[in-house]
Amino acid sequence: MKFIILLFISAALFFTSAALAGDQGFVKEGSKRSITLPAPNITLKEGPGRDVTSSYCRICHSLDYITTQQKFTKAKWMAVVTKMIKVYGAPISGENAKIIADYITTHYGIGG
Amino acid sequence: MESKGVSRRDFIKTVGITTALAATGTIPPVLYASERRLVTFPEKTELLLLTSSPPQLETPLKYFRELVTPNEALFVRWHLSNIPTSVDLDSWRLVIHGNVDKPISLSMDELKKFEKVGYTAVIQCAGNGRSFFEPPIFGGQWMNGAMGNVTWGGVRLKDLLKSAGIKSGSMEVAFKGLDKAALPTVPGFLKSLPLDKALEDDIIVAYEMNGSELPMLNGFPVRLVVPGWYATYWVKSLSDIEVTDKPSENFWMKTAYRIPDDPCGCVEPGGAPKKTVPINRMTTRSLLINPEDGSRLKSGQSIELMGVAFSGGYSIREVLVSIDGGMNWSPARLGKDLGRYSWIQWFYPWQPAKAGNYQVMVRATNSIGESQPLDGLWNPSGYLLNKIEKYNLIVA
Repeated sequence: MKFIILLFISAALFFTSAALAGDQGFVKEGSKRSITLPAPNITLKEGPGRDVTSSYCRICHSLDYITTQQKFTKAKWMAVVTKMIKVYGAPISGENAKIIADYITTHYGIGG
Repeated sequence: MESKGVSRRDFIKTVGITTALAATGTIPPVLYASERRLVTFPEKTELLLLTSSPPQLETPLKYFRELVTPNEALFVRWHLSNIPTSVDLDSWRLVIHGNVDKPISLSMDELKKFEKVGYTAVIQCAGNGRSFFEPPIFGGQWMNGAMGNVTWGGVRLKDLLKSAGIKSGSMEVAFKGLDKAALPTVPGFLKSLPLDKALEDDIIVAYEMNGSELPMLNGFPVRLVVPGWYATYWVKSLSDIEVTDKPSENFWMKTAYRIPDDPCGCVEPGGAPKKTVPINRMTTRSLLINPEDGSRLKSGQSIELMGVAFSGGYSIREVLVSIDGGMNWSPARLGKDLGRYSWIQWFYPWQPAKAGNYQVMVRATNSIGESQPLDGLWNPSGYLLNKIEKYNLIVA
């Protein structure tokens, strides 16, 4: 019996902590709901082109859009940067596009 | 077998080849540039972080042991970086306009005056499982956690459209949410449905998930629910419904979320389709959920394999299980039936007689005979994944 009570208490504690976990950053006031998103926490690897890559890519998305990809070739990364410019209007010059594709391929891609 | 909610399968795919080789002796198909970690976002339990802004969060597989996925565990996927982080129902309105007799603007109270309907339905991202394609495909590197099974409550889209009055010559219905792009040059997120599809009874504007209001990250206050179709159409934080007399020219319909115009929705791996169509109904899938891939079991001990199976709007007729890498197949017992849009749980008792490595495979077939291919079908965007998965169980 003691064991069952203990089990029940630990289960209750588990579910309470699970429920509380998600309440961070959520506010419900009358008819209004608000959330505060955690700030992106990614630092790109040191190397030439890192600052250019970081400052342009971050305009529209967090840098984990780069770091969680699989390893792609430079041709693929160049095509991706070109898509960002042509389809989404990213204000990246041709020269910077090359710097970005070089940097990502060196540190997060495959091949030369 | 499990640490902080990351299953062994997730873990193997996350930390890369050396560990995986050591652990199971098999080579995983995926090598990530970086590790995957667990994060807690507002109203959410710990989920696997794909990207933080716009957020893409994946559900650890252990939550699929439940028939219905808890709200706090459901995956998150937004397209544009300025997602709604604050909504006041006093000022929020759902607008229905365009090729209609009488444009209407509904408050939440007014919306709730329409007849309430509900059902349980699988929600699955079009790119769920993208990381398992070979050759690899650029885009969100989802494992299998961009899905869930939720009981939705809301009002019929059809009732709202009829209340505004659809004019003759209407062709499509377009849906927009509260999310906004960071740059004016980025196409706003919009999805549209052909009018006859939009008028189907089961398409709803949902204001409830599992009996509660929607979490902000899953589209509070309402989202479109198109059961049987991929979640790209299930527009979150829906605020604008427009009836149109011509097809949408929007990027998200005309360029993105398209599949090869072929019965298999596929092309030769690495190839390009001649013609494409907007993605639509989900393919049939089945997964082993428990025990997890790579688990170690004791010989002679009986266990019950358990998983889920679903298809794009048709009931699952049969789930077959093989424990010998596909040589022999036996039917699994199916669990409680929550209707044709829900997933169904399958159970398969097993007592491994001797030690060794066992390859488990699962294959579902729906009521119209749609099933799963043995080898994966490939398409350039990494959609429709439904190959028969292979799981390794180690009996010692």
